[in-house]
Amino acid sequence: MRQPLPLMSGHMDFVVLGQQIVNGLVNGMAYVLIATGLTLIFGVLRIVNFAHGEFYMLGAFITYYIITLMGVDYIWAAAIATVVVAGLGILANVLFFWPLRKEHEFTILLSSLGLALLLTNGGEVIFGADPKYIPSPFSEEIVELGDIFVTQQRVLVFGVGVVVLVALYYFIKNSTMGKMMRATAQNPEGAALTGINIRKVHAVTFLLACGLAALAGALVGPTAMIFPTVGSWAVLKGFIVVIMGGLGSIPGALVGGLLLGVIESLGGGYISLGFAEAIGYAIIIVVLLWRPQGLFGVARKA
Amino acid sequence: MITRRILMAAGAALMAGSLFAGVVQAADKPPVRIGAILPLSGAGAFDGQLAAEGMEAMASIINKKGGILDGRMIELVKYDDKGVPEEAVSAAKRAIEQDKVDAIVGGWFSAVALSLKEETRDKMLTIMTSSQHPKVTEEGHKYNFRLNATSTMNSNTYSKFICDKMGLKTIAFITINDDYGRLEAQNYEKLLGECGIKTLGNEYYNRNDTDFTTALTKIRALKPDAIYVSAINTSQGATIYRQIRQVGYKGTIIASAGNMNPKLVELSGPALEGVYSVSLFAPDSDNPVLQEWIAEYKSQFSNEPAFIGSLGAQAVQLLADAMNKVGDSRDYDKIAAALKDGAQETLLGTFEFDDKGQALQQAYLIRVVDGKITSVKD
Repeated sequence: MRQPLPLMSGHMDFVVLGQQIVNGLVNGMAYVLIATGLTLIFGVLRIVNFAHGEFYMLGAFITYYIITLMGVDYIWAAAIATVVVAGLGILANVLFFWPLRKEHEFTILLSSLGLALLLTNGGEVIFGADPKYIPSPFSEEIVELGDIFVTQQRVLVFGVGVVVLVALYYFIKNSTMGKMMRATAQNPEGAALTGINIRKVHAVTFLLACGLAALAGALVGPTAMIFPTVGSWAVLKGFIVVIMGGLGSIPGALVGGLLLGVIESLGGGYISLGFAEAIGYAIIIVVLLWRPQGLFGVARKA
Repeated sequence: MITRRILMAAGAALMAGSLFAGVVQAADKPPVRIGAILPLSGAGAFDGQLAAEGMEAMASIINKKGGILDGRMIELVKYDDKGVPEEAVSAAKRAIEQDKVDAIVGGWFSAVALSLKEETRDKMLTIMTSSQHPKVTEEGHKYNFRLNATSTMNSNTYSKFICDKMGLKTIAFITINDDYGRLEAQNYEKLLGECGIKTLGNEYYNRNDTDFTTALTKIRALKPDAIYVSAINTSQGATIYRQIRQVGYKGTIIASAGNMNPKLVELSGPALEGVYSVSLFAPDSDNPVLQEWIAEYKSQFSNEPAFIGSLGAQAVQLLADAMNKVGDSRDYDKIAAALKDGAQETLLGTFEFDDKGQALQQAYLIRVVDGKITSVKD
């Protein structure tokens, strides 16, 4: 029944390939933004945060409500939503994570799962089940790079992603707080003994991670529809990337995310879309079998 | 001590009073209870909400006029099937055994309808609503009815229009990867092929996909005159329509039959402007029952009345009429016979059921014009 793809000219082939790679890089950058926060919380605090996707969802919904209820411009709304959700991240830490810091890892994991369910179902009650669209002025504007088409919104996702990651890299490398975070990551007790305020490190890590998730939601939101369960999609992609790149590694999240985006896009474009969905899981299995520490992770003693 | 005793006495008196009042009312005229089994949580929650609101609005209209069967009110008892077949089956059990409903309205999705009809087979009057799978009515159940057109009926109507009026030479499809989507692609490829429209390609997407640029990039490269979009869920549909324009495709968009609703139009923005579809529900029709229902709906709910809600309303209206005609709410043989007895007037116009309980409804060609769903008049 199905027609085979007609043979296309070499140029056309090249354009489609280029277009699929561009699509993949943009989707990949969205994954990077989601995964960076996830990997940061794990790397510094040894917490697996299942509720991470919900902060992505909150970022998208708060952006939507700031625009529609208060009439604020998209860019400002996205910035405000990022700040608000970053604040909520600190609150989540105080209520759900900090009190459990001395408990077993599983207790904290369950706490984060509970928070995820609470936020998703709460979102359904408060925001309603109907899908929503974040009106961004950049969504319909197309940038033509030769024969390759990209919307301004997608350029924005990529551009902001690059800027934020560079800023984050220098923050962690050079600032005092960044050094405190790295010390905590290496050895929390040792760090505490040298006078590092662990409580503050916890708070700042959650602030950064949740802010990043919210920023991703605010930027990626307008490329599709948003709904209260969108967070489970986000956290799933985040975990695939984090496992691929290595738990706790920010360069790993960057390379892993972009790689996943491009592989999905090429797999979907040249094999089938069903394959694009399956490939993430296949990657997890392959990585866990052959390189459990991930591409950039350092093997850790048990 | 004294105040406590007084309070208790007062409480007891109040309770006795309300019980007594309840008994009097119930003995007076028991309500006719319709079990509404719908997706009220999960992915289909918004559609379920629209369906429930449609049923409520019709029940209010009937109750305001004094109910049915000489003054019995219609009471809707809602069950959440979560869009899952097993949940629908257990809801039907509760409805029949515990709550003793008089009839069931359900089956918004095909998979759910196919299981639900086995639970109610030959023992409970069941009106299936928006499901489109042909088998929902084809497997023998004497009290089972279905209101929506089957996907095969829709494609026959729609393909004629596409062939005659749209002037296309080539087409490509983007369809959901399930029974419904595969049947759609098969039907249209055949029917459109017969009138000389060549199918260039077909991309199946998955139920949880949120980005379609990969598939649409592929389709754009085929350069079809039109893209046919088969999307059953509002959120994915709106994303696909928007992204078709975002990947730079400028040709014609065709929306699958039965899946157009005001929310989809609102979310898709300019991408849906001028797009055609087929629906049993033309909101600009001058049918007085429809207009009355729309007015009642808008007075109670903030959502725009949609096709799925109008089917729920039609189910309530048909049940009320048939029960009135028979003079009983539980004589299912007679009620089923009354439903199958010739043409009926409803808010969606005149139609009849065939012997298997499949509705033969009038389908309208609709088009999005200035952000509104309007019927196309020849």
